[in-house]
Amino acid sequence: MSMMEEIKGYIAETTFTDPTQIKEETMLFEEGIFDSMGLLNLIAFLEEQFGVKTEDTDLMEENFQNLKAIEAYVTRKKG
Amino acid sequence: MVEKKAFSRDVLYIEEPEILLDKIVNKLREDVFHRFRRKGGVVGISGGIDSSVTLAIAARAYGPEKVLGVLLPEHDSSPDSKELALELANKFGVKTVEENISNALAGFGCYHRRDEAVRSVVPEYNPETDKMKIVIPREILEKKLPPVFYVTVIFADGSEVSKRLTPAAYLQIVAASNFKQRSRMSMLYYHAEANHFAVIGTPNKHEVKQGFFVKFGDGGADVMPIGSLYKTQVYQLARYLEVPQKIIERTPTTDTYTAEQTQEEFFYQMPFEKMDLLWFGWENGYAAEEVAPVLEMTTDDVLNNYANFERKVKTTDYLRSAPLHDYNFL
Repeated sequence: MSMMEEIKGYIAETTFTDPTQIKEETMLFEEGIFDSMGLLNLIAFLEEQFGVKTEDTDLMEENFQNLKAIEAYVTRKKG
Repeated sequence: MVEKKAFSRDVLYIEEPEILLDKIVNKLREDVFHRFRRKGGVVGISGGIDSSVTLAIAARAYGPEKVLGVLLPEHDSSPDSKELALELANKFGVKTVEENISNALAGFGCYHRRDEAVRSVVPEYNPETDKMKIVIPREILEKKLPPVFYVTVIFADGSEVSKRLTPAAYLQIVAASNFKQRSRMSMLYYHAEANHFAVIGTPNKHEVKQGFFVKFGDGGADVMPIGSLYKTQVYQLARYLEVPQKIIERTPTTDTYTAEQTQEEFFYQMPFEKMDLLWFGWENGYAAEEVAPVLEMTTDDVLNNYANFERKVKTTDYLRSAPLHDYNFL
């Protein structure tokens, strides 16, 4: 399973959202898929699953707004 | 059809407070005397503006002899609260009873569970000497992300540390702290039932609509007479009803954590005057282009706030929902 699929699966499962509704560029916060708890949980998931430790300075819309952004963020952090 | 007013800074000003109060008072009588068949009201008073206005309105509706003000301090309460609440009750001729809920909260493990969760993030936190609060750093909001919660610990020597909460720690702190509001609700219902009164709730419009209340805690009441009033309107009525000036001038706090914390800092993130107008604009379909110049904001800022309000209403729907019992499949 690709990293994006894994993240998408996690988001779909924890937010009770139909996975087909979460596209690469679906805006997770604007669409109301994710709220505060969702973001906190996602940060914990990224650390547990990919060993990515999110610093306070990483908390930017550009890193978390959609699947594509999250994948790029995790790849960058792992690299 | 009522013509929509042009958007202005005065759009929420109550032109005739006496007429509005008459309507609220009549409905309070109708709801409590006739619908619920209770003979008066119990109000939890904290020395804050919302509970003060609610008490004043209840005294007007039922007569002061049919209202009971209940002071509900606990270990972390501000000491000013009691003095102000007593001054208020005295001003409106309402009897009071004080119920310290600290032992009940200790029995629930409220303080212990909260402190344990704080220590999981800030191990050096000592609840005996240090103070704590949950905060949302302003920088996070400016980055257009949903609020991310941090715990701030203020150590005995005055130094501070803020750390981002883990989901588990955040949920445990909130769940433990909510024992406070729920214990208050239980005690209010004790006094209501012992007197055959109703519980008169104190949340204002923002608290109700934005979900800034604890389900079955301060959200647990029989009627909420100021539940449709904006905060600035609550202040206007406070002045009209001659609520003690010290209460009017006091900064609204959450009165939940050990460190002092304003409601603006924790939840609303902007002054009430501005939030009231933005909410009114959003709720009544005013275009961002009309609202922005009045509030000296950009159209984008207004639209961001509108989107934020919409999200808040959606994500807090659970709090306002009564138990669902339509499970009749027979």
